Amino acid sequence: MMRYIKLVNFEINRFSKIYLSLLLITLVSQFAGVFIVTKSLLNDARDIMKEERLSEAAYITNYGGIDFNHIANSLLFVGPIALSAVALIFYIFLIWYRDWFGKNTFIYRLLMLPTSRLSIYLSKATSIFLMVLGLIAFQIIILPMENALFNSNVPEVLLSEMSISTITIANPILSLIIPSTFTQFLISYGIGLMIMSILFTAIMFERSFRIKGIIMGLLYCGIAAVLFLAPVLMEIGNFYFYPNELFGLMLAIGIILTGLSVWLGAWLLKNRVTV
Amino acid sequence: MIEVKKISKNYGRKKILDDVSFTANKGEVTCLIGINGVGKTTTLKAIMGLTPYKGEILIDDQKMTKDSYEKITFIPDAPTMLPQMTIKQAMVFMSDFYTSWNPERANQLMGFFKLKEENRISELSKGNTAKLNLMLGLSLDVDYVLMDEPFSGIDMFSREQIADVFASHLIEDRGVIITTHEIGDIEHLIDKVILLDNGSVLKEFNTEEMREEEGKSVVDVMREVYQS
Repeated sequence: MMRYIKLVNFEINRFSKIYLSLLLITLVSQFAGVFIVTKSLLNDARDIMKEERLSEAAYITNYGGIDFNHIANSLLFVGPIALSAVALIFYIFLIWYRDWFGKNTFIYRLLMLPTSRLSIYLSKATSIFLMVLGLIAFQIIILPMENALFNSNVPEVLLSEMSISTITIANPILSLIIPSTFTQFLISYGIGLMIMSILFTAIMFERSFRIKGIIMGLLYCGIAAVLFLAPVLMEIGNFYFYPNELFGLMLAIGIILTGLSVWLGAWLLKNRVTV
Repeated sequence: MIEVKKISKNYGRKKILDDVSFTANKGEVTCLIGINGVGKTTTLKAIMGLTPYKGEILIDDQKMTKDSYEKITFIPDAPTMLPQMTIKQAMVFMSDFYTSWNPERANQLMGFFKLKEENRISELSKGNTAKLNLMLGLSLDVDYVLMDEPFSGIDMFSREQIADVFASHLIEDRGVIITTHEIGDIEHLIDKVILLDNGSVLKEFNTEEMREEEGKSVVDVMREVYQS
């Protein structure tokens, strides 16, 4: 167990510079977004009031108040979230391949550690999952600050104040990454974990059987996707499920697929992978 | 004792190892010899569980498990630590993960090889990288050491230093399996030779017996076998 924790710590440290850069980019970009977009919204509002000779009250009646939704939908706000997501998806591949390729073959050392190969597999999965949760936690921390800054920058008469929960529910990306219910959390992060374990297994197929492994990995991904979406596909074929049944079926298939992928990936790492 | 029993290995359709069998005892230096591509490195990787194979490999009558890595170590000819690490960080990593890590021996080898803790691995020369690999491998209190071409591409003085390690107490009592082309540097230290060709064991002999009974050195036998 201690070696597993040390491995997780080691993996996180290896990605720490890029990870801290992602946090910094998110912080700077979103706060810049609050300033820039707020200023632009206020300028637009003033222009409209000037052109249409409207009072602030009349502007509110005709166009509605200025709310945080404008910020949350801006590129400066959503961009770093998308960048972080892309970086972490890319890291799912990099976390394995960087140990095989390049000048130093660290995979020798990693696979010769006196710890189970499952620990090595799980430490990489855990570190990615912790980094995802860290990014989300960071977003949860800075979102109220950004909202407070926005509220203080917009004149009270023009402001349509929103609570944090309203902001997260109203914005599709925020509602995806910051689930409002436990079920939503299970869906968002459960699917994320399942996809990661399926990709890890596909990578293990490639590392074990090289060119044939690429085909096997792609096939595995395809079969897993079809299996997971089978209840939805059955609905298209006029086979009806109640929403609870559909959720239960997909949850069960998701758990089985994740368990199978972890087992198969760790088995390949232990028995078939070639250095 | 390391027992390699009828191991076979294919890469695609190419046969790399074909029913290879031999044993390597504790306290002996066993040398795997053969031209490039005969399966020397693959044999070492198979013993270490770094590549799948058909057949059986036993270490002290047991199959390889995760705990075996505390009693057997592999020193490949490439650096096994991250390039951005310093030697000190590499040593901390080893002591974190291996209970068999021996810090006194590590310091002794650091001094012997004149390596500096603050040096980054990416900045080391080929010779110093080989020394670092040797230092990291030999600082583990293991029963068996597997070395893949430890003299490959390094200068004469570094080769002499590494050969000195073979003659020292650092190797004594351990079972060593080594692959090398630079047989001259360590010929007098080799106890047993396994000659490989096309993935098979061509000849296996005890060097002392060969010298005493047939008056031939390892190089003589190699010439006989590979040039005939």
